[in-house]
Amino acid sequence: MNTQRISAIFEKDLKDFMKNMMLLMMPIIPIVLAVVYSRLGEGEELPLVVIYIVVGVIFSAVTTSIMMTMMAEENEKKTLRGLMLSPASFLDIIIGKSLVTGLMTLITLVISFSIIGFGPILNIYTIIGLFLLFLFFLFLGIGIGLFSKSIASTSAYMMPVMFLFGFTPMIEFLGLPEGSFGLKLADNFPLMQVMKVSDTGSWLPLGVVTIWVIGAALFTLICFKKTKTDD
Amino acid sequence: MDYAIEVQGLKKAFHQNQVINDISFQVKKGEIFGFLGPSGSGKTTTIKILTGELVQKDGYVKVLDVHSQKFSRANFRSRIGILSDNSSLYERLTVYDNLKLFCKLYHAPLEQIDVILHEVDLVDARKKIVSKLSKGMKQRVLLAKALIHQPEIVFLDEPTSALDPGNMAHIHRGLQKLNEAGTTIFLTTHDMEEATLLCDRVAFLNKGELQEMGSPEELRYKYSTHAFHVETFDGKKLIIENEAKNGDKIRDLIVNDRVKSLHTDKPTLGQIFLKVTGKELV
Ligand SMILES: Nc1ncnc2c1ncn2[C@@H]1O[C@H](COP(=O)(O)OP(=O)(O)O)[C@@H](O)[C@H]1O
Ligand SMILES: [Mg+2]
Repeated sequence: MNTQRISAIFEKDLKDFMKNMMLLMMPIIPIVLAVVYSRLGEGEELPLVVIYIVVGVIFSAVTTSIMMTMMAEENEKKTLRGLMLSPASFLDIIIGKSLVTGLMTLITLVISFSIIGFGPILNIYTIIGLFLLFLFFLFLGIGIGLFSKSIASTSAYMMPVMFLFGFTPMIEFLGLPEGSFGLKLADNFPLMQVMKVSDTGSWLPLGVVTIWVIGAALFTLICFKKTKTDD
Repeated sequence: MDYAIEVQGLKKAFHQNQVINDISFQVKKGEIFGFLGPSGSGKTTTIKILTGELVQKDGYVKVLDVHSQKFSRANFRSRIGILSDNSSLYERLTVYDNLKLFCKLYHAPLEQIDVILHEVDLVDARKKIVSKLSKGMKQRVLLAKALIHQPEIVFLDEPTSALDPGNMAHIHRGLQKLNEAGTTIFLTTHDMEEATLLCDRVAFLNKGELQEMGSPEELRYKYSTHAFHVETFDGKKLIIENEAKNGDKIRDLIVNDRVKSLHTDKPTLGQIFLKVTGKELV
C-alpha cells in the first residue's frame, strides 16, 4: 500500500468520473427520488420506510453501481492491465477507486438528506449503521466489478443487487401475510437492520449488519481469487 | 553479468497447447534485440513472461538480474517499461493527465512529462483529450507512458504495427535516441525491415521455438550463397559463383565495360526467415 499511488488513482478516477455522463447520472436518481418523496410528504417528517428506500437507492445506485462500473470499464478498455503492470498494487487501485465512490456516496447522502431532513439519522448508531452499509455495498461492487468484463454486463448484475438489497423496505408494500417467511427473511437484510437501529437505537442490529459486511468481504475475496487463477 | 535478459529452457503451455517450447537466449545491456515471428508464434506470450504478467513453471528467467519470482515487486516494476500489444489510455482524459497518472504511480518527477512529450513530439497535444487523437498519436502517447520513468529496459510488443510510415519513422527515431542514451530495448515485430533497421541482434521464433539468432548482418552473410549477381548493359542477369575459377569471367566483364551492377548475394531477413522456417512472416 502506498499513499502516493492511491492518491494518483483517486485523482485520475475523480477526473474521469466528472467527464463520464453515465456515472454522473447515478447520484441523480436518489436525489430526484428524495425530492419527489419530500413533495409528497408536504413538509411532514417522512416515514422511516420511505427514508430507507432512499438510502437503499443511494447505496445500490451510487455505491455499488459506480464501483462496479469503474472496474468493468478498466477491464473492458484494457486500462487495468496498464495499472497492474505499474508498481501500483491491486490494493492501491481498489482503495483509490473506493475513495472516489465513497466521496460520491457521501455527497449524495448529504444532498438527499438535506432535502428530506437529517432528523432520523443524526445519531451515532445510525451513522455507524450507514457506514457499515457503505462497506457492504462497496464490497458487492468490487466483487461484481472483478468479474465483469464489460460495462454492458454490469446492468445484469445490478438488478438483483438493487431489488434484494436496495429495495428491501418495499417488501412492506407487497402485502405479504404477517409472519410469512418472506417478511422474516427480509427483516434480516442489512438495510432493514439499520432501519431498526434508527427506530430503536439498539446496538444489536449492527452486529447483524457486520456479519453481512464480512459476508460481502468474503464474496469479494473469492471473486479476487477466481479472477487471479484464470490465466 | 552484463546481461539485461537471461532466459534458459523456458516453456509455457496454455492447457494442452505448448506455446513456448524450450527457448534460451540472452540480451546484453544496451542492445536492441528483436524477437521476430509470424503471428501466433508466441512473441506476446514471451514478453508477458519477461514482464511478469504471466508466470512460467519451466525454465529460468532473469531480467536486470532479478529472478522471475520477484517480478511483481514494485521496485522491479519501476525499472522496466512496457508497451504491450493492446495497451490503452484513458480516453476521456487529456494526454497530460494520462501521463501524470503514470508519473505518480512510478514516483517520477512531474517535470518528466514535458521532457517525454518533447521526445515523442507531442508537446502541442498536451491538453488534447485522448479520444480525439489519431492512432499514430495514441501510439506515441503509449510510448511516452512506457518511458516516463526512465526505465533501464523497455519491452515493446509490435510498437509500429498498423502505423503509417510517418508515425513509424517517428517511433524508430525515438527508439534509436533512447538506445543511444543507454536503454536496452526488447521488441517484437513481424516487420523485417524494421528489424534490419533497428536491431543489433534478432531471434527467429516459430511455433514457440527459436530457430535462428544473430545480428542481421551476420545472418545475411550466413545465409548468403556468396555468388555474384551481375547485370550487364545489354540486360542480361548473371549469377557467378564466388570461386577462383570464375575470376577471369568477372575480369572480362569489367574489362569489356559490360557491368551495370555487381553485388554479392545478400538475402533479406524476410528471405532468411522463409528459408529457416519455411514460413512467410505475416
Ligand atoms: N491466455 C491464453 N490462453 C490460451 N492460449 C493463449 C493465451 N495467450 C496466447 N495463447 C495462444 O498462444 C499462442 C501464441 O500467442 P501469442 O504469444 O499471442 O503470439 P504472437 O504474439 O506471436 O502473435 C497462440 O496460439 C495463442 O492462441
Ligand atoms: Mg502478439
